[in-house]
Amino acid sequence: MTLFTALFSHYRRHPLQLAALALMILVATTLWSGVRQLTEQARTSLAQSEQVMAGRQQVVRVDGAGLTVGDFAVLRRAGVCVMPWLEVPRPDAVGLVIGIDPLAAHCFAEEGAPFGTPGGSRPARLDGKPFVDIAEAARLARQLPAAETPPALVLIAADDTLAAALPSGYRLVSVSTGPDTGELGESFLLNLDALGILVLLITALLLRSVYRLGIVQRRDSFALLQRFGVPLARLRRLLILEILVLSALCIGPGLWAGGWLAQSIGQGFGQSLQGLFDAPLYASPGHWGEPALIMMTVVLLACLADFLVPVRRSHAPRLRSYPLAGGLLVTGLVLALLGPSLVLLFVAVAMVFAGVGLLAPLLIQWLAERAASMASDPLRRWRHRELAVMARQLALPVVALQFTLAMVLAVQALVTTFEDTFDRWLGQRLAAELYVPVPSGQPAEPAARWLAAQPGLQQGGAWHRVIRGRARVAVGDKAARPVDLLAFAPVSSLVSDWDFLATDGNPWEALARQDAVLVNEQLARRLGVGIGDRLALEIAGSPLALPVAGIYADYGRPAAEVLVSGALLPAGFEAEFESISITPGGLSREALVGGLKQVWQVPELTLRDNAEIRALAGGVFDQTFLLTRAMSILTLVLAAIALLIMGWVFFTGRAWYFRLLATWGLSRREVAAQLTRLSVGLTASVALLALPLGIWLTWVLVHRINPLAFGWSLPMAVYPGFWVELIGLSLLIGLGIALLMGRQLRAGAALPVSASSLTGGER
Amino acid sequence: MRRTMLVLLWMVLAGCSQEPEQAGFAGLAESVAEGMAEGMAEGGGEGGQLFYLQPGPDTGLTLPEDLGTHPRHRIEWWYLTANLRTESGEPLGLQWTQFRQALLPREAGSIPEPATWPLEAAWMAHAAVSWNGKHVFAERLARGDVGNAGAAARPFSVWLDQWQLESVSEDQWRLQVQAENFSYDLTLTINDQPVAHGIDGFSAKSDSAQGSMYFSYVDIAISGTVTFEDQSLAVEGRGWFDREWSSQFLKTGQQGWDWFALHLDSGDKLMAFRLREEGNPFVSGTWIPAAGQARPLDSGQLALSVIEHREGVPVRWRIEVPAQGVNLELSAPPGNYRNQGLYPYWESPVDVSGSHTGEGYMELTGYR
Repeated sequence: MTLFTALFSHYRRHPLQLAALALMILVATTLWSGVRQLTEQARTSLAQSEQVMAGRQQVVRVDGAGLTVGDFAVLRRAGVCVMPWLEVPRPDAVGLVIGIDPLAAHCFAEEGAPFGTPGGSRPARLDGKPFVDIAEAARLARQLPAAETPPALVLIAADDTLAAALPSGYRLVSVSTGPDTGELGESFLLNLDALGILVLLITALLLRSVYRLGIVQRRDSFALLQRFGVPLARLRRLLILEILVLSALCIGPGLWAGGWLAQSIGQGFGQSLQGLFDAPLYASPGHWGEPALIMMTVVLLACLADFLVPVRRSHAPRLRSYPLAGGLLVTGLVLALLGPSLVLLFVAVAMVFAGVGLLAPLLIQWLAERAASMASDPLRRWRHRELAVMARQLALPVVALQFTLAMVLAVQALVTTFEDTFDRWLGQRLAAELYVPVPSGQPAEPAARWLAAQPGLQQGGAWHRVIRGRARVAVGDKAARPVDLLAFAPVSSLVSDWDFLATDGNPWEALARQDAVLVNEQLARRLGVGIGDRLALEIAGSPLALPVAGIYADYGRPAAEVLVSGALLPAGFEAEFESISITPGGLSREALVGGLKQVWQVPELTLRDNAEIRALAGGVFDQTFLLTRAMSILTLVLAAIALLIMGWVFFTGRAWYFRLLATWGLSRREVAAQLTRLSVGLTASVALLALPLGIWLTWVLVHRINPLAFGWSLPMAVYPGFWVELIGLSLLIGLGIALLMGRQLRAGAALPVSASSLTGGER
Repeated sequence: MRRTMLVLLWMVLAGCSQEPEQAGFAGLAESVAEGMAEGMAEGGGEGGQLFYLQPGPDTGLTLPEDLGTHPRHRIEWWYLTANLRTESGEPLGLQWTQFRQALLPREAGSIPEPATWPLEAAWMAHAAVSWNGKHVFAERLARGDVGNAGAAARPFSVWLDQWQLESVSEDQWRLQVQAENFSYDLTLTINDQPVAHGIDGFSAKSDSAQGSMYFSYVDIAISGTVTFEDQSLAVEGRGWFDREWSSQFLKTGQQGWDWFALHLDSGDKLMAFRLREEGNPFVSGTWIPAAGQARPLDSGQLALSVIEHREGVPVRWRIEVPAQGVNLELSAPPGNYRNQGLYPYWESPVDVSGSHTGEGYMELTGYR
């Protein structure tokens, strides 16, 4: 038998342990690298669109019609340096690709602007994504399902293009028409990063616990090998090699699976990013080297930290960690309460988790020992003492399970709160039965006049025009900033059910009287605006100063928005989007559609009903939390499996003691009952300890992180029903351990085994 | 930022190679075809495999059709050089060239739908003005078939963005170029019938089969305005217009070419070129007497030799056509006449002395 086979024979006896290690590395790599790939891709996309589009201008048609290749040729022949830009979703894959014409881009270089080569040097060759030739983008666009809106061609103009140089029929507008969303996109990604890191830490803890278990079991064989003359340093080198090989074998498939994960949820993620922050997700190739290296380092650190920091075998010093843990916990709690930035909040969360992680096993141990000393029943005392030992020995997986339960609990509370709130909010917003977008190029006024003249609409019906555009808002001395503008004309009863976060009397009346404006929560937060504050608005160049009469919730969007009466819009105002919300009342749907078609002289009318819009909105918001949910559930499954394995191994190691129970006269059934109570006691205490941590984390997510990451807050809600489910799951894990143990006890040999018994005599 | 934009410019041109041994003017065919053909491979399958046509001695010229595009040939150009004088008599050299590089051969009638942004041909236009020892150059690129670049035989027109050469009457063309720091607007009067080079317009470019279809208008009276460094200059003089197309232009191992188009004061004209390669360069030319038929010249009848280099570029030359009693010394005026575009080359006016006096243009490619 060679040294290698001797050393690794452990895994021949315990193949499940090896499988558990491999599984943990694989799942940890998958989860973390999947999330990382998406956030990296999103970050690159944000940077790319920022870099390429910042400050740029585009040419549009004065008549509002979409641009075509013909417009491109007309402009170029007129000497205007424009470049086509076509963003197209990739079929069945993540992200957008941008079609450009590199030949057309050449004139951008002439003017010293980007997009071209400096002074005649040979252009670099690069491999595409997210940029592809516009012919390829146009081909992808033709393959899009008919239901999808065809991508719009954008003609980007060189920086020094003057409006006067344009042929008639065209005008210049800024490329960046999106609302000012601040740092929200970045915060959202930071949120995901933090979740990714938390998952990585939890899996590292689990990994470490399983690996350490193996090392403890192998300690005797190491001692034996040393006695045979194998130096300790060589043994360690071999162990390092062992874990290196194992991680190399598992990280590769893990990264592949991470890529697959990112791919399968990426489309939805891209939609969320686009919907939430108006930030596109471009297709970009994944990088493998760096994540592999990071993952390898994490695995090595988790498994081999003992080689770096000598293990303190005595239990006494651990009790000294009370003050440290307590200090971390208190500092973290205070920081979470007061921290002004997302990064500080994450630090606070990390400190609280670290404090709790250190304290929880000690607490279980202390409580168990206290209970043991108070118990008169010897069996009960035995059980409590055994629980104390378990809490110490299984500290790592216990803490990992506690963290995971807390995370799952908090994420569930956040998502459920969000769904409930959003659903209620959507119900208020979608009070009308029908929504008719005003056809492109058509004015809304004739339709409004026609609607006002319908007697049927007076019978239980209601309608108003919804006008969306852009405005600028200044508060105090601060510079004016662009915001979204929403206007209703007239202010109908359809909006009367809106819940306000803050109001001053009846905001709708004030709005209808044109005495006040309403603002969304995002604007109120970003500009620090309250009820009664005066806003200096600039709409299409006209100034307008009015007080704020109400702040309304506006979930799921990052943009600041101001709501005004449609009657206040100046003549030069150009709406970006206009629709009419209608509850037809006594007017039939056919009469309504027929009438509007006639007013606008259009053959077809787009008509959306309440349910359709609700489904669309719901779809977008489901996607937003898909990733969060998937990660927390997968981590829970992993933690449960790890605890199951650990518990089983732990019990196996102590099987001899448990068999003593039978020797002492307990029936098999009674022994099984004791074991069940013991294991269920452990997992139940973990679940109970996870509850306060989970509730606290919910509070941090809802009240601290969400406003910073999304720009709006949610009401805090707790869901005790779900707590019960989680406790139930913990009990099931406990029962699972007991069941495995029971099988083990029935299985055979009953020799006492302990580390001290292996003194070399087995030779 | 600039880096990113490099991506934008050329990233689509990555990845494939289509017969890289075939080079063209200023490396154009080599570099562009190398990159662009791959994306087009799919489209090429329609209607069966279509190959580039290679011209030969039997091809013959058809006018005015040959002033338009040749979509079944890989590369072609329209090329004007002019030796002009300002009102004060100072010499002013001027060049305008437009290239078409096919990425996919196709039948002349099958024009792809512009909305698909076809990438079947790339266009490149060059304009340069040399005056007072200064040389300015501008370059424009465009994708073919989307409208902003192209050429037509009837009425004759070649355009890329706002630059264009177009016929305005039976024998008059108008050339307009607006670059960042210079522009010109010229009227060209075509005084003579086109001269077919080589054998019925087939101009051999090596001892093997390589060659191109090549004809020239060599007697063009030019007048108009050149704006140079914010000065508007009225100019007059004479020009030389070349029309050339091929699919396999240079052969492997040819490093570049030296080309001359000369107006001799005797009324005779001379076109001469030399393709540099290991061993003996390939030399060819056309003697165009003031009266009578143009005569092709081969290496036995024409000799080109370098007299002097300037920063690695041969700027003084001797050209001999012994049968015509021609022994010329050519020299470029002082200055740097490199066209610093994507594919740099030298393009300068030359003064002619020796057995004859005169003026002309010289183009040198492949010198670093």
